[in-house]
Amino acid sequence: MEINPSEILQLAATIWEATLGLCIEPDVSGSFGNRPRSTAACIHITGAWNGALLLDCPVELARRAASIMFDTEPSKATVADLQDAVAELVNMLGGNFKALLPETCYLSLPAVVEGGDYSARVPGSKLLGRVAFICDGNAVSIAILEKMEAKAAA
Amino acid sequence: MTQTQTPNPVINPKLIVPFMNAVRQVFKTMAGVETTVQKPFIKPHPGASYDVCGIIGFSGDITGTVSVSFSDSAAQKLVEAFAGAPLDRSSPDFADAIGELANMIAGSAKQHLGGLASISVPSVVIGKGYTISNMTNSQCLVIPCGSPFGEFAVEVSIKQKTV
Repeated sequence: MEINPSEILQLAATIWEATLGLCIEPDVSGSFGNRPRSTAACIHITGAWNGALLLDCPVELARRAASIMFDTEPSKATVADLQDAVAELVNMLGGNFKALLPETCYLSLPAVVEGGDYSARVPGSKLLGRVAFICDGNAVSIAILEKMEAKAAA
Repeated sequence: MTQTQTPNPVINPKLIVPFMNAVRQVFKTMAGVETTVQKPFIKPHPGASYDVCGIIGFSGDITGTVSVSFSDSAAQKLVEAFAGAPLDRSSPDFADAIGELANMIAGSAKQHLGGLASISVPSVVIGKGYTISNMTNSQCLVIPCGSPFGEFAVEVSIKQKTV
């Protein structure tokens, strides 16, 4: 399967604007370096297409998103609030991405990791594409991975 | 590592027993070791108590996530037994092994859960001091387990779709 990065970017732009009232712009820097802390949310898709979406978002933006979604001061947003906010964003991304897939597909519930020293992988999958954008001065990444059938039995 | 336990209101054995059996079966078959399963309890708050975590998503009639979590040392020993050779935790093969183990446990349990469900490709998180939140409205049940490699836990956060 091939993905159109522009299409994914447009999905993200629509969701970010509708949910957070924030604009995004493509990140053309080509760098996605280490940050002190980040949240990574993963949502899986099964059915006619099998794979996952990974949303990687700096803690600062997650905090901003949580403050907007839950109408709270950013400083008062808890780790759980941040995780809920990012989970909601990846859930919407997953739902919209699913609409582009052949029928019938199912979404899992999102899982969100928050921390400063971790790596997240989706074994048995291949990277179909990655979309990077800037929102409120923060670099965000969306990776789309497809399950590799040949490696599934390894 | 410690787990803070809360009094257990209700734990549905139909959701627990398949995973307890799956853990025993998979470890015996793939790593050649016996495991012990301790009393499950409801996780009081999100948070990781372990360093290496394999997460599987369920979708369909049963939705949620199941994770298998290990300390670094337990994961290293288990992967060595599973793969037949030591693997560095930064190696993709290390994550593959953890993911495959989680996949087997979830797949084995799924057959006995009832209902039609699909399981996703696994996600594997490796690190220190991170928290994982599973966005379900259901309780997260922790099944503490013991093995010759060390302690580990299976966390089940799934619910069955009501008709």
